[in-house]
Amino acid sequence: MELSGLSVDQAPPISAPLRFYLTAPLFAIIAGILIFFSESSILMSRYSLDSIVITHALTLGFLGFIMLGSLTQMLPVLAGVIIPKVDNISKISYLFLTLGTFSMLLGLSLDSSTFTTLSIPLLGVGFILMITVISLAILKVKNFNATVKAMATSLVFAAFTVIMGLFLLYTYINEDFAQYRNMIANVHSVWGIFGFAGVLIIGVTFQVLPMFYVAPKFKRFCKKRVVWLISSGLVIWLFTSIFVESYSIIGKAWIATFFWAFSTTVWLKLSARRRPISDVTVWYWRSASLFLTLGSFLWIFDEYFKHEYIVMVAILLGGGFILSIMIGMLYKIVPFLVWFHLNAMGYMSIPTMNEMINKTLARTQFVLFMASLAGFICSFYFPYLLQISAGSFTISMIILQYNVIAPVLIYVKVKKTKPDFDMSMFAKVD
Amino acid sequence: MSTIKDFLSADHTKCDELFAHMEDVASKSLSDAKEACLEFQQETERHFQMEERVMFLEFETKTGMTQGPTAMMRQEHTQMRGLMSKMCDAIDADNIDKFFGLSETLMILLQQHNMKEEQMLYPMAQQHLSAESEKIIQMMETLIVE
Repeated sequence: MELSGLSVDQAPPISAPLRFYLTAPLFAIIAGILIFFSESSILMSRYSLDSIVITHALTLGFLGFIMLGSLTQMLPVLAGVIIPKVDNISKISYLFLTLGTFSMLLGLSLDSSTFTTLSIPLLGVGFILMITVISLAILKVKNFNATVKAMATSLVFAAFTVIMGLFLLYTYINEDFAQYRNMIANVHSVWGIFGFAGVLIIGVTFQVLPMFYVAPKFKRFCKKRVVWLISSGLVIWLFTSIFVESYSIIGKAWIATFFWAFSTTVWLKLSARRRPISDVTVWYWRSASLFLTLGSFLWIFDEYFKHEYIVMVAILLGGGFILSIMIGMLYKIVPFLVWFHLNAMGYMSIPTMNEMINKTLARTQFVLFMASLAGFICSFYFPYLLQISAGSFTISMIILQYNVIAPVLIYVKVKKTKPDFDMSMFAKVD
Repeated sequence: MSTIKDFLSADHTKCDELFAHMEDVASKSLSDAKEACLEFQQETERHFQMEERVMFLEFETKTGMTQGPTAMMRQEHTQMRGLMSKMCDAIDADNIDKFFGLSETLMILLQQHNMKEEQMLYPMAQQHLSAESEKIIQMMETLIVE
């Protein structure tokens, strides 16, 4: 059995996840600025270049970075394996993904085939490298629990989502393939949201809710079947939407039902949690659960309205569900990593997790973020709300950027000032 | 017959319950939480000693691995002992923000620690110590906390 994940020397260095976590909000700030300078009528179409650029600043830059950072950090704890040469691999992948994401955003925004062409190998190498090494590490897992199974499933969807994404980028260079663009883009987005992000979130939630909030454990059925049921739903949806489109609603209803069941379960588990604390991370879980319910139902109804509401579905699911969970997780993970690594180095007189991020700023960030989501949805009917919502979103992401940097500054300061080690902490408590 | 993994995992759950109870009492009145805090601290200390003085020793003797996973787990026990002691101090000082700041940190440290033990160390210990499993559990059950 692989035990090296237990050793702090071989566990991922703090820089491996942090470089992803600290860069992610920057892409969300860029997305906010781009929305500010966009027009509501253009963003109403999911296939407009503005929509694609903004969506990918958020999905590739924000969500992708946080998910990859989290996988490097969580795999040793949840699965008991380490990713070989994790620091070097994450550095290389990070560099490729950062440059690749910027190239893609520039390429599509400026209609520059040079940047678009450049983005294909950069993003391809960045993603494939991470997906491959994480998959190889997962293959070594002996104790395959529900979370590890969900991670493995999510990586399969991630691989397909990336390959389809690279093909889609290619269609902007070689117009001969443009005819397939919308069909592939549809699969790319649904598998990306529900398969890659959704399944990963579900798997991690199985562990995180009981762990962080002492919520009741998920039922065996839920842990054993939900990921499998959602995955089969995604495959059914794929075939029906390509070959018998009139039946694709079956796949959609199947997927949406299980995500709705999941969101309801999360809500109930949170209500039954043993920890009385209600901090901003609980608010994020609650709102994610609500937005997932609304988004899942609207996704089904959208089928009967000629996909008029698909962008609203994207805001509810991408922003309200996935972004909310990711931000909530950042507020827990970053301070914990800083505390854990400093404490393990022997620094005892350090702030606790709760003292590392200003609570008022975290709450302000939450309120501005929620206001922006409500504003984006309302801007479908009142276009003048778009700019003010974009402003609110951008400010909330600037605050988020500050909030995740603040604990890291504490880390740097403690390491620099090197306060005396408090060896009395190693004495046994009677 | 209970296995080492089942026995110690069940003890984790028991400590989790005591932790939740302590926070519950503290959220209503911090000064009333002293007893619950001490109870949680004592049970957790008991769990640590069952591992350090019995199971880890048996595991280290059997496998020869003294600087491996058990060393890491011992180090995390030390980190947790420090936090538990500071939590009791925070109750004495009637500092609710400090108390919940420490309890939050301890909670996550404790949970990721338990997960590593339940996912990796306990199954491995069970594998190496299956023949002596019953005796080791009995030794842990009858341990007198120092």
